[in-house]
Amino acid sequence: MNKSKLITMKEAVDKYTYDGMYFAHGGALPVGSDCISFFREMVKAGRKDIDIASNCNTQGTNLLAAVGGLKRMEVGFSGLEVYGFANGLKRAVESGQTILEDYSNGSMPIRMMAGALNWPFVPMFMNTGCDQQWASADDPENYPNTKKIPEITDPFTGKVCGAFTPIKPDVAAIHVTMADIYGNAIMLGTEWCRYELSRCSKKVILCADKIVDTGVMKQFPNLVRIPYVVVDAVVYAPYGVWPACSTGLYDSDEEHMFYMNKMLKTEEGTQEYLQAFGQYDDVWDYVDMIGKERIDKISATETAFLMDPYRQWIKTDAEIKELLERR
Amino acid sequence: MEYTRQEMMAIATGREFKDGELAIFGVGLSMLAGFFAQRNHAPNLMAFTEGGVYGSTPIGGLPWGIEDNRISANAVSFTGAIDALGFLVASGRVDNAVIGAAEVDKFGNVNTTGIWAPGTEPWRVGKYTLPRVRLNGSGGANEIAVGAKKYLLMVTHEKKRFSEKVAYISSPGYLDGGNAREKYGFPGGGPSAMITTLGILRPDPVTKEFILTGYYPFASIEEIKENTGWDLKVAPDVQVIPEPTAQELENLRAVDVTGSLRKK
Repeated sequence: MNKSKLITMKEAVDKYTYDGMYFAHGGALPVGSDCISFFREMVKAGRKDIDIASNCNTQGTNLLAAVGGLKRMEVGFSGLEVYGFANGLKRAVESGQTILEDYSNGSMPIRMMAGALNWPFVPMFMNTGCDQQWASADDPENYPNTKKIPEITDPFTGKVCGAFTPIKPDVAAIHVTMADIYGNAIMLGTEWCRYELSRCSKKVILCADKIVDTGVMKQFPNLVRIPYVVVDAVVYAPYGVWPACSTGLYDSDEEHMFYMNKMLKTEEGTQEYLQAFGQYDDVWDYVDMIGKERIDKISATETAFLMDPYRQWIKTDAEIKELLERR
Repeated sequence: MEYTRQEMMAIATGREFKDGELAIFGVGLSMLAGFFAQRNHAPNLMAFTEGGVYGSTPIGGLPWGIEDNRISANAVSFTGAIDALGFLVASGRVDNAVIGAAEVDKFGNVNTTGIWAPGTEPWRVGKYTLPRVRLNGSGGANEIAVGAKKYLLMVTHEKKRFSEKVAYISSPGYLDGGNAREKYGFPGGGPSAMITTLGILRPDPVTKEFILTGYYPFASIEEIKENTGWDLKVAPDVQVIPEPTAQELENLRAVDVTGSLRKK
């Protein structure tokens, strides 16, 4: 465990992501806990033809779809909850640019669990008896579809259920509240599918809001749901979920959630958005781009007390710079 | 007393929750209906979100999502999706739930996936074609539809939303009616009511076709039939649903602090 995996965001995207990869991201929740700044970096790098296993759409997939980088997506929920439809993704799907294969919020993480267990398939009754089983964007001519979720018989009861393929992405980027440099991570708020995702992906990159000393892991080992053994890289990603929320640290930026989604509605708007919010160099520059006024506003969160037990272990920016330079 | 149709719908939905039930509320207005019930008449309602946020109540207004900090600031447990949607919902444990819908049909099937031009629906043309308008997909509603012991559909009552047959079944109700659900292993019982902005529809116990059982004081049977896309049957004992009491409105508005339901 004595090897630091801390690298910069740009290094992580350069080293681990590539055109055409089978990618996954998490928490993959529209309003919280996804690695949005990792998506921004992939867009900066011009990644394209990405195939994504996504529990839910977020502003990350919304942006990648808006720039035309998303070839295919398996998803449980493709909106932004109370923030509305995801305009970038909606545009890409309606134009036929992105193939959207529908599942549900429960079947996606169970498929990830099956991937983690290396099962050949997983039986479920969710998504059966309805168009998630009968309609397939991958295989549109075959309706009712017999290949996407084949009907199988429970050998014990004789009842019908569906057989689902496991999810085993090439690369996963996972947001965590805090991580140490070795890849041990603690998440606050709903874990959603991140535990399963960290086990089913071939490569795992953690995007951490805070880099912490390993002392916190030794104090709260039950909370370390993602240990170093399944992690390939750790990226310091402060405000990495912005404009969505990170429980304990900052609320969703209501104004920017609406603004970003409005801009992604058109190609022109997307380009204008990237001019304004896609032109930074490194993580320090990214934080400056968000700006102190916004950061102060979103940081006044009612969940801030959740961070109290961990504060003594948080590394300062100066310490993180030193850790990166010392490599 | 002044109240909006949305508020009436939320209160009528809330009245369906009983004290002590294990319940899951969706995102948006349905969440307000659930927390209204907890505050008004069901203090021991055990609520959680599909991400596994347990024991919390919203603070600062309508949560932007089921994982929003507005619902995470006073929780007693955070788990994950397989726990909440799998172990508690799809497994058949949850007592009651609410699903919002863009489109429903006479057997309580729900479409939240897309809008197709009439005549191009996948089931009609025998292949999957792109929707004219892509909606949000099922989210966790499919798990509720297959697993909850019973659940409520909360829908704005407009003809375009109440179809003979939905364009796409995102979450199964009673499928083709009767005992059609039995073919599948669904542990849940299916939808117990459609609570709309005009009244309440409940399934016929045998055919499972939804029929009108109640309407709000400001609505009429005629108006509801005009706004329903199938030949809606009316229960012989159809009733006028009592309007909100002062106490119900006070409790709903205490939950709906940002006034989401008061917008007309």
